[in-house]
Amino acid sequence: MAAASSSDSDSGRAESSEASSKWLDAHYDPMANIHTFSSCLGESLGPGTPLVVGDLGPSGQHPRLKVLKGPTVLTESPLPALPAAAATFLMEQHEPRTPALALASGPCVYVYKNLKPYFKFTLPQLPPNPLEQDLWNQVKEDRIDPLTLKEMLEVLCVCRFLQLELSEMEAFVSQHKSKSIKRQTVITTMTTLKKNLADEDAVSCLVLGTENKELLVLDPEAFTILAKMSLPSVPVFLEVSGQFDVEFRLAAACRNGNIYILRRDSKRPKYCIELSAQPVGLVRVHKVLVVGSNQDTLHGFTHKGKKLWTVQMPAAILTMNLLEQRSRSLQAVMAGLANGEVHIYHDKALLNVIRTPDVVTSLCFGRYGREDNTLIMTTRGGGLIIKILKRTAVFVEARGEAGPPPAQAMKLNVPRKTRLYVDQTLREREAGTAMHRTFQTDLYLLRLRAARAYVQALESSLNPVSVTAREPLKLHAVVSFQVCRAIRLPQGQEGRGQG
Amino acid sequence: MVLLSHRLLFFFFFQRTQFPASAESQKPRLKKAQEFPILEKQNWLIHLHYIRKDYEACKAVIKEQLQETQGLCEYAIYVQALIFRLEGNIQESLELFQTCAVLSPQCADNLKQVARSLFLLGKHKAAIEVYNEAAKLNQKDWEICHNLGVCYIYLKQFDKAHDQLHNALHLNRHDLTYIMLGKIHLLQGDLDKAIEIYKKAVEFSPENTELLTTLGLLYLQLGIYQKAFEHLGNALTYDPTNYKAILAAGSMMQTHGDFDVALTKYRVVACAVPESPPLWNNIGMCFFGKKKYVAAISCLKRANYLAPFDWKILYNLGLVHLTMQQYASAFHFVSAAINLQPKMGELFMLLAVALTNLEDPENARRAYAEAARLDRCNPLVNLNYAVLLYNQGERKGALAQFQEMEKKIRLLKDSPSLEFDAEMVEMAQKLGAALQVGEALVWTKPVKDTKSKHRSASASKAASLQQPLGSNQALGQAMSSAAAYRKLPSGAGATAQPTKPPSLPLEPEPAAGAQPTEAPAQIRETQE
Repeated sequence: MAAASSSDSDSGRAESSEASSKWLDAHYDPMANIHTFSSCLGESLGPGTPLVVGDLGPSGQHPRLKVLKGPTVLTESPLPALPAAAATFLMEQHEPRTPALALASGPCVYVYKNLKPYFKFTLPQLPPNPLEQDLWNQVKEDRIDPLTLKEMLEVLCVCRFLQLELSEMEAFVSQHKSKSIKRQTVITTMTTLKKNLADEDAVSCLVLGTENKELLVLDPEAFTILAKMSLPSVPVFLEVSGQFDVEFRLAAACRNGNIYILRRDSKRPKYCIELSAQPVGLVRVHKVLVVGSNQDTLHGFTHKGKKLWTVQMPAAILTMNLLEQRSRSLQAVMAGLANGEVHIYHDKALLNVIRTPDVVTSLCFGRYGREDNTLIMTTRGGGLIIKILKRTAVFVEARGEAGPPPAQAMKLNVPRKTRLYVDQTLREREAGTAMHRTFQTDLYLLRLRAARAYVQALESSLNPVSVTAREPLKLHAVVSFQVCRAIRLPQGQEGRGQG
Repeated sequence: MVLLSHRLLFFFFFQRTQFPASAESQKPRLKKAQEFPILEKQNWLIHLHYIRKDYEACKAVIKEQLQETQGLCEYAIYVQALIFRLEGNIQESLELFQTCAVLSPQCADNLKQVARSLFLLGKHKAAIEVYNEAAKLNQKDWEICHNLGVCYIYLKQFDKAHDQLHNALHLNRHDLTYIMLGKIHLLQGDLDKAIEIYKKAVEFSPENTELLTTLGLLYLQLGIYQKAFEHLGNALTYDPTNYKAILAAGSMMQTHGDFDVALTKYRVVACAVPESPPLWNNIGMCFFGKKKYVAAISCLKRANYLAPFDWKILYNLGLVHLTMQQYASAFHFVSAAINLQPKMGELFMLLAVALTNLEDPENARRAYAEAARLDRCNPLVNLNYAVLLYNQGERKGALAQFQEMEKKIRLLKDSPSLEFDAEMVEMAQKLGAALQVGEALVWTKPVKDTKSKHRSASASKAASLQQPLGSNQALGQAMSSAAAYRKLPSGAGATAQPTKPPSLPLEPEPAAGAQPTEAPAQIRETQE
């Protein structure tokens, strides 16, 4: 790993407060121009090999495959479409065991070996709507004119054809009637699942989630579909454990805010977790499924969907990933938050907080170069941060949260009273009755005056009068300052202890 | 929405001019025709931006996607509508969701969102209709049942709401449904059932601080202090900065006289919600309990400044000023409180005490009469009235009030949680002797009973009994010392002894009277 580059000092300054930090700042480049999601951050492909990033481009315009070695971009190649997910996996048992990189984009999975294009898998076509098929067949035999076709199709569903104007229709029909209709779906998410061995370097299958609410398991060598499962909604995040040939559990966080848990023999979900919010990340820590929701909470669930705990986050969760420190057999969840912090949790306990100069949008922890425990983060502005976990670092569960909140130690801000106030209080004690009487007398006088003024106004017809009893008039009296003073003055002379 | 449709129109136009141009040659068109854009190509990206709340990026992708598919990408419209709704443009979101529902009429989710927008617009009936439509498409959706229930609550059709919420619970249990169900029972005034519901809810999700706090407050309202404290304490262990729970727990500590502990707890709230009127009210009453009257007045005045129309704060202010012998000020605070809450006997009693001390026995008497008319269960009102009447030489009237008090005492005697203040009992006995009804066994016996009970309690097992008795004693003690403080200067007149002191013990109880009013003040505020 190319340590301590020139930009190291920048990040060093940003973190200077944390001299006892568990992390070494290896690299920070705010101008790295890498825009990606955690799902597209390919893991390192083995010792000494580079990091692969499916880059969406600054505004999703120019998708690229970037290969990083150390802090620098090694190669860059354009992609045909935006990458939805990236994964590294071992395709076959033979030596040398070079892992392959799979990049899901649109309806295809592009497989790279040694960073060279190797294979392209395309999702199978979806069967067309039988009624629509029938209609087009009739068109083929010229039994239907375009207008009727349009009417019929409108009843059915949305179709490219419906967007056309009348003049274009005929041309369109004549052009397409000979072809078969096809429907293509898109890959939304991808992950890997060990085929038959639990070893770290065992052959893995690709698991794809598609826009038409299906999960596909692909054979790593032949790229045939080994299993197909359907979900009630479109999968967004996948989390798999186990081996395909033995037993596996598949958790899929979906767009309807639910997480479905499937097992090897189930074609449909076995358990369902209803979050009542959108999941923003799904990570499995040992046997606990950790889900981040877009209501700033982190939940822990058992693999049967029972809720274990909930932690409130200080800000919105943007991305989540697993931190696995093998040397200490620690598994924890990293969550990149919108306030520019990365929180690391072990179950409910907060282990560590990393403050970053920009909001982290993707995270990846693992082996990078020669370093076992490297944390790679990309930021919203396109920056790249690489941190190395110190070998001496031990994460300890902070027990501090059991104590009282820090606010409890703050003094209450009780308003002070002046000497004058105390004096007036004493005076009121002595002459309370007199004060009260004066006040009451003045109050009566004021009322009397007001009544007189009102009567006077009525007599001289100076004020508007409501004609009908049903529409009462509101009299808005403005008490002038002079009147106020006239009342206050005598009171002030005799005692102002009211206040 | 307007913008969007413009864009669509524009694009249609664009297409119309574009297509004939490319139609000139057949070959490029053939190539083009083979590659239809996949409508859902970037749905995943839209979704990822949406859940990360990166709405700007999300809108950009939606725009692009809609241009490419000429407004037919359902999911893009759907998310656009969601964003509109988050931005407060509910009408626009409604229209877009309706578009989605047209694009795929078999999708329950679209209908649910249409109904949700209708609900937010306050069109509950329309929302119910759409939810019913959605329920036909998806029968086993808790969300539909839950939201139907909420709509029915707003329409005040509690039975239907009740049924729907129970259906929702059958399908899938959610905290929110429990909360709504509890709310129905509270709206119907059925505390016990509400507690049942919240109990189940807490069982289901034991770490939900909102549920724990609400349950604690309900127990508090019912006077089951042990359980109330338990639940509030649980809520505080999970969230030590929970505003509602701290206020409620603090008020309970106050009733038990743990003013210092309550004050430290309030510090947390003072940091989080520094402008909370109930908080400053409670802090003020803590200082009052600690006999720091100036600080108490400062805090109560701040509370009053923050919530000028809260009669409970005014009540407490009146009470503290009475203790401080600032009767003129006390009169103003109490009369302000009466203006806001004219139906409370204790307030008129406080007013009468102030008036007595302001040497206005005529009005004091009227105030007492009003207090006695309004009050149902506080014997103190009648005792004070009787004392006043006695002092004015009206033995007959005093006797009537004394008997009224005895009646109330007899009623109260049955409830075990109530203990009479020692000073009040003493005063009642003195008055009884003066009125020569001391022999009446009906009265003396219960008093003797309560008194001896009280004595033995405080002597032998004070600690164990303190908890249920708590409230009256603690503040009673605080107040009796205040009364003692007052006795010093005024104890001179020998003949006045039987006349003047009677107005003193009046104060000890007002304090006790303040406690119950004060606690509801917190409950009421915290439940909002």
